[in-house]
Amino acid sequence: MTHLVRIEDLVVDYASGDGSVRALDGAELAIGAGETVGIVGESGSGKSTLGAAVGGLLPGAATVARGSVVVADHEVNTLRPNELRALRRERLGYIFQEPIGSLDPTMRIGKQVALALPGSGRRADVLTHLERVRLADPARVAKAYPHQLSGGMAQRVAIAMAMAREPEILIADEPTAALDSQIRAEVLDVIFTLAAEIGTTILWLSHDLPAVAKRCRRVVVMYGGRVVESGSAHAVLDMPWHPYTSALVRAVPGAVAEGERLVSIKGQPPVLTGAAEGCAFAPRCPDALSTCSVDRPPVVSVHERDVLCHLAGQQVGVSR
Amino acid sequence: MRLFSWWLRRALSAVVTLFLVSILIFTASRLMPGGFAEVVLGPLASPEQKAEVTAKYGLDESILVQYARWLGTALSGDFGISMISGEPVTTEFGLRLPVTAQLALFGIGGAILIGVPLGVATAVRAGRRRGGAAVGRLLSGLGVSVPEFVLGSVVVFLFSRFALGLTVGGYVPFGADPAGNLQSMLLPAAVLSVFVIAVTARTTRDAVLTVLVEPYITASIARGDRPAFIVCRHVLRNASIPIITVLSTVSAYLLGGAVIIEYLFNLPGMGTYLVQAVGRRDYAVVQAGVLLAAVVFIVLNMVTDAVAGVLDPRFGAAAKGRKQ
Repeated sequence: MTHLVRIEDLVVDYASGDGSVRALDGAELAIGAGETVGIVGESGSGKSTLGAAVGGLLPGAATVARGSVVVADHEVNTLRPNELRALRRERLGYIFQEPIGSLDPTMRIGKQVALALPGSGRRADVLTHLERVRLADPARVAKAYPHQLSGGMAQRVAIAMAMAREPEILIADEPTAALDSQIRAEVLDVIFTLAAEIGTTILWLSHDLPAVAKRCRRVVVMYGGRVVESGSAHAVLDMPWHPYTSALVRAVPGAVAEGERLVSIKGQPPVLTGAAEGCAFAPRCPDALSTCSVDRPPVVSVHERDVLCHLAGQQVGVSR
Repeated sequence: MRLFSWWLRRALSAVVTLFLVSILIFTASRLMPGGFAEVVLGPLASPEQKAEVTAKYGLDESILVQYARWLGTALSGDFGISMISGEPVTTEFGLRLPVTAQLALFGIGGAILIGVPLGVATAVRAGRRRGGAAVGRLLSGLGVSVPEFVLGSVVVFLFSRFALGLTVGGYVPFGADPAGNLQSMLLPAAVLSVFVIAVTARTTRDAVLTVLVEPYITASIARGDRPAFIVCRHVLRNASIPIITVLSTVSAYLLGGAVIIEYLFNLPGMGTYLVQAVGRRDYAVVQAGVLLAAVVFIVLNMVTDAVAGVLDPRFGAAAKGRKQ
């Protein structure tokens, strides 16, 4: 099976002050065409860095220390600037967290959408694209400036711009985190229906495990700059193998039966300065073995599920 | 409608400001130690001679009467005569304003055509080479901090000591000999421009650096836009408010007359003329000159606000109190 995106052993460091912080510590991920993938993790787990790395969008302070990112058979890290721009233009679409901030405050919406369209975008095309994201009054929105829109409207505009060239893969980095809760579902509906129409692969970065599991076929859990668990959404949610994933599931309101206590995850996520000695979750893990803090856990793959845990081998062994 | 009343309020407040400025400068010029008669006649003049001169120009009347008389004629466009030359102030200004305006034009032109692109270029390249950024900072630091009289003196020395193709001094009006005029203005304009260009480049660089980290720039990069496209379409306009503010300040500074440059290169501009007028207690000239400077400042500020409102819709809406 050829993958649309293939990330192998990716290590990314950020220069900070006199040292450096490791954002990705050997991340592995492969995404096939047409998949809907949700990447879940806390702030600092490296999911945004992973999303940025797909489009070669890492900030200036970041360096790729090791590993490869292959998108549609192009190695992103070694592409020349004009090839990278072509890749972004023709195959990738990005949606970011801050909807109004992602739009140029000095330019009318219609003009911005027109600039994002292939060729010279005509007014009719602009309105069509605004209609596709179910904006109630496209003509009025086209004439408005970003500061005159609500967050939800602005995010729809950003979706229209990201989907304008019908990308092969859409990377949505917490697209609803800055929105009111009742608008979130609508905006997500827009993203997923539009992507399904066009046949765009979705890579949705979020910290909301149940929301991701509801809409994505596959869930990827990140911790400490590594992908610790990946598999079909219902399997991961119903039967998490990695202790971090099960802790996440138990920490979600609504996941436990009424009367039971929500369990928060004790401790803080790690800030790595170099490669983690063993498993990055070991200090917070209730079931940690003595090897966990010494040896980096290997990938255990069973039935299209990947788990990065020393315990997983035993669990698989007893077919839990 | 709201917009109109906003401009009306601005215009009204400008008139009030000018009125207050005229009172202030009228009072201040009369409070300067030593009156016109003392300065013109010298320390050895007799009291009778002084009284005669004072009476001749109406300086023996109370300051209120003098001010009322001046204001009356000023409103009809007559700013009195220079007591030194006996010529109308407007005629005297007419001779000197073109020199100052031309110098200012060169300076503003340099700021826009060289300072702004330089600032953009250094900001866009900021992340690439550390060495380049350091050189840029050093040059702009020098440009801002080396006083005009130092740079001007060096230029005057070099060009008068060695035959470098341009002569120093000897102003020729543009109408009489355009080529000769440009030749005589080139050096002073260049010296004047160094500071102006450095200040503009610095402000532009800072403004562009602030814009470059905005999410909409990241979004534009993510869409695969070319750097030149991003700078032209998104960066320049968003960075424009600080840039036009500094350009407006620089313009006001230049139009006030570049005294040191005018002295160094022997140019008959407004700066030297006003300094001389203050020294000679040539009241009418000082009053008109300061009032003119105030008008320039107020007009430039209004133009800046108008341009800012056009360039950045948020600024316009906020400044004019519009609700949308």
